[in-house]
Amino acid sequence: MTKIGVYICHCGLNIAGIVDVEKLTEYAKTLPNVAVARHYTYMCSEPGQSIIQGDVKAHMIDRVVIATCSPRMHEETFRKAVAETGLNPYLLEIVNLREHVSWAHTHEPERATEKAKDLVRMGVARARLLEPLEKRKVKVEKSVLVVGGGIAGIQSSLDLANAGFKVHLVEKSPSVGGRMAQLDKTFPTLDCSACILTPKMVDVAKHPNITLLTNAEVVDVKGFVGNYEVSILQKPRYVDAKKCVGCELCTKVCPVQIPDKYNENLTQKHAIYIYSAHAVPKIATIDPTRCLRLKTKKDVCGKCQEACEAKAIEFDQQPQTIQIKVGGVVIAVGSEVFDASRMAEFGYGRFKNVISNIEFERISDASGPTNGKIVSPTTGKAPKSIVFIQCVGSRDKRFHEYCCRVGCMVTLKQAILAREKMLEDARIYVCYIDLRSFGKGYDEFYSRARDMDIDFVAGIPSEIHCLQNGSLYFDVYDKGTSKLLEMHADLVVLGTGLVPNSDLERVSSLFHASRSADGFMLEAHPKLRPLESAAAGVFLAGACQGPKDIPDTVAQASGAAAKAIDLLSSGEIELEPLKAAVNRDLCSGCRICESICPFKAIEMKTDTGKDNENFRAEVIEAMCQGCGLCGSACPTGAIEIQQFSNPQVLTQVQAAFERAKPKGGK
Amino acid sequence: MSLVDLMTMATPNLGSREKILAKLCGRELVNCFQCIKCTSGCTALKLLELKPHEIMKLVNLGFVDELASSDIIWTCVTCLKCVQRCPQKASPYHVIVALRNLAVEREAKIPEGYLKAVSQILETGLAEAYRKIVTRKMETVDRECLGLPKVSKTKENFQTVFMKAMEERP
Repeated sequence: MTKIGVYICHCGLNIAGIVDVEKLTEYAKTLPNVAVARHYTYMCSEPGQSIIQGDVKAHMIDRVVIATCSPRMHEETFRKAVAETGLNPYLLEIVNLREHVSWAHTHEPERATEKAKDLVRMGVARARLLEPLEKRKVKVEKSVLVVGGGIAGIQSSLDLANAGFKVHLVEKSPSVGGRMAQLDKTFPTLDCSACILTPKMVDVAKHPNITLLTNAEVVDVKGFVGNYEVSILQKPRYVDAKKCVGCELCTKVCPVQIPDKYNENLTQKHAIYIYSAHAVPKIATIDPTRCLRLKTKKDVCGKCQEACEAKAIEFDQQPQTIQIKVGGVVIAVGSEVFDASRMAEFGYGRFKNVISNIEFERISDASGPTNGKIVSPTTGKAPKSIVFIQCVGSRDKRFHEYCCRVGCMVTLKQAILAREKMLEDARIYVCYIDLRSFGKGYDEFYSRARDMDIDFVAGIPSEIHCLQNGSLYFDVYDKGTSKLLEMHADLVVLGTGLVPNSDLERVSSLFHASRSADGFMLEAHPKLRPLESAAAGVFLAGACQGPKDIPDTVAQASGAAAKAIDLLSSGEIELEPLKAAVNRDLCSGCRICESICPFKAIEMKTDTGKDNENFRAEVIEAMCQGCGLCGSACPTGAIEIQQFSNPQVLTQVQAAFERAKPKGGK
Repeated sequence: MSLVDLMTMATPNLGSREKILAKLCGRELVNCFQCIKCTSGCTALKLLELKPHEIMKLVNLGFVDELASSDIIWTCVTCLKCVQRCPQKASPYHVIVALRNLAVEREAKIPEGYLKAVSQILETGLAEAYRKIVTRKMETVDRECLGLPKVSKTKENFQTVFMKAMEERP
């Protein structure tokens, strides 16, 4: 006969502070098949685990029920503890007393205890029907897909490639480098962004283990952890990448001008262009929506073709779909900058002298539209007064509630750069709410800014006004002096925050990786699993997971690479044994399961070999993730999910409605 | 008491604070993080002894009574700029209106203009009385000479209905 051990965890006072664990233990002892019931302060601790292990041996326990925190927290811990005794680890049932009882009913201890009794009774009922299961081992591809070629994707790719893994780095735009390639200098050391980034960009292009795909997008993902099949769309450049030498002869003759995205649309480029001065790969690309020839589909213009000495222009290039197999994925698609025109009161988009901080980066950068000279857009002259306004679009419930985490340091850096580049008599002000300089060397950087005659005003203006000559003025109340100040400025720089990449919705659904309420990618656990998404084998790096500066992004990118190496290095992984099984006699061949399976793990097969009769569903075990969708959708009840079979679930439901029936009729 | 204003020796009245919170009907007061945007843009700032952000903080700390009995809360011209632009949706305007309601409940001194407006509404149903106006051409005109229809007088039971509606308010 089955002998069940029930173990109730106090979780310090998290559970025991609300639930009467003594009573609950006594109650558990009265349930059928329960041979032993105990409670302990921390069941997950070593002595806690030893209690369970001792009982399994001493009392010949063959099913274990642990009433503790969420199974997402410690199911694995307890499975290992059970397995060490020689018992099958799947003969364990977790009852969630913390999230489902004590934390949810803090004000009703007595009713909470009653609910705990119900849940323990249900757990014991289910435990009786548990069956031993074996983990599956599958071979994995020792290669990784990295999505996004900014500093996060570059760092992850290099770390993975150096560890001997094959890497496919996919970047949407024609060059790697991402947001960091647009920056002038970087805080808190003021090293030039291009100087530290460009060598890494070159490294990813040259590394023998990295296949770099720029101007490309992931369009489809099939399979599961260890064995993903990914389709990548290689968009045409209309230029032969092997022949183009990046001489830029073509760009000089192109008659069409289009806004230059790399320069935040502050300048124009041509319809055939090289993405930036440091572009990797340095290959020309034609914008098919603007090129006269490609747009009209007529035999016109063709000036670039005439100018190109390498004969690299190919107007008839077609999009290509590339299929690859990878074991894991690192998502590193980064973020975007808040569109300040949504915040009408500051006049961004209406007043030329109001710019965003990313536009300031381009203006300040030596390779930017003004060759690094800081100017006021209306006059083209150096501004006499610059005001930085903080928290634009962030810490604002109308737009984004979170702190953008980089705005304060970006502004300090830009104020310092402005001071270094501008005439001594120029005034520089920063209007702020709270100044957050929390990182290593960051507060020292704030102190450096104060030393450099940059004035800080503790208050945010309500609105900005513009005079006819383009100069700006506004009122701001300063908390420090209790004065209402009228400020005049030739240049206002808005501290625009980072917002989720507009591609994230598509990317998250491609990889079945969810997003958090703020729109960024959601990590599997905010503290203990920050580098993983909830989808197995899909890791997160950089600002796609939340706003981040460069040091944090690089750290996370290396971490995500290490997690991918950890997953794939042995060449095989263990999969949970929970999977669907089809009862062929009950299957009617309706194909509903096939149509809803998100992992394409159902195959329709026929006994007779003829194409048109007796189709039955069959589960491809290596693909099945045990999500249970097919089981609940099957109209004939032919599909059961191991560990969640109909009897196992229904007996639990029955137990839920069966009020205490103690042994011996107490 | 955990807090004393050493300038006036006043202590917070958390009961009054609760009343204000109840009057805000779920609008957020405690979220104010003192960004000063309301004060920077306040239309009536130069007339105010206490700035909008200071009113927010005083109510948050519980110094409600001195506000409810002072003239300060009646100076707001209700332009609603602070409501539009508050990044924490914790607008001083709503707090000031709640303080005014508390002042009325406590029969505190209310500026004459407000009382006039109320009796005006009760008598005519309008916040602003009819009057002749002077145009840019310096002509004095009224509704009649502009050919506008006469506005009907308030019905006799208007006052009763209005007062009843006011009393039944939550």
